[in-house]
Amino acid sequence: MDVLSAIKMVAGSQNSAPLTDIAQKGVTPSIPVYDLKEINTDMAPQSVGAAQSSGSFQNLLTNFVGEVNDKQVAASDSVAGLLSGKNVSLHQAMISMEEASVSFQMMVEVRNKLLDSYQELMRMQV
Amino acid sequence: MIDLLPGINSTSSALDAERVRMDVISENIANADTTKGIDGKPYRRQQVVFESVLNAQQASEAGGSIPQSTQVVRIDKDTRAPRMVYNPSHPDANGQGMVALPNINIHEEMVDMIASSRSYEANLAVVKNARTMAMQDLSIGKH
Repeated sequence: MDVLSAIKMVAGSQNSAPLTDIAQKGVTPSIPVYDLKEINTDMAPQSVGAAQSSGSFQNLLTNFVGEVNDKQVAASDSVAGLLSGKNVSLHQAMISMEEASVSFQMMVEVRNKLLDSYQELMRMQV
Repeated sequence: MIDLLPGINSTSSALDAERVRMDVISENIANADTTKGIDGKPYRRQQVVFESVLNAQQASEAGGSIPQSTQVVRIDKDTRAPRMVYNPSHPDANGQGMVALPNINIHEEMVDMIASSRSYEANLAVVKNARTMAMQDLSIGKH
């Protein structure tokens, strides 16, 4: 993904093509926009509102948090099963805890990145 | 479900299989001197047979690279003849005073146990490395 499509994704749906507008109005950027578009023809820029298969980005994030929660629940289930003498082996419990831990770390990283980008936007000169 | 740890399913199944193998080896060692089993005959050595479970998965979802996992298909009995030892005072001795002991060689079982524990260790190293890789992935872009 190039910088242009990344900015477009952040910019949202209400002003879907601000950069091309700028280009057409004569504020000529150093690289023409159509050149930039030709770099990744297969990867059309998608805005936040553009419907993907799983809905909006908010839904995506909610699903992700739900999955992380599922992994935590599965880990605690397997540990409880191990300790109560059910047919759960030690390594299964450890692996599910490991999975839960890694996915939680992943969620924290995603949250950090989102917060960083929000703060970056807030610092932007108007 | 998100798949964050690469190859963890195959490794988990291999660890399961190795535990079964360890169970069987411990059974063999424990019964090395059992002259009368459940069927009245001396205990017979058992050994596990592993099989990869790609076939069943491939039938259901025909695709490119499906991770193969392993499982214990069956636990076979060793067909070697029992060890015959002369001990007329033993209650299970036959008419010639020979006692049929199980066809278990303790040294063989120890070697099997070493192999099993080493491959368990190798699979655990895979888990450890998968975790390290995931954590390193998560630190992309940090300095």
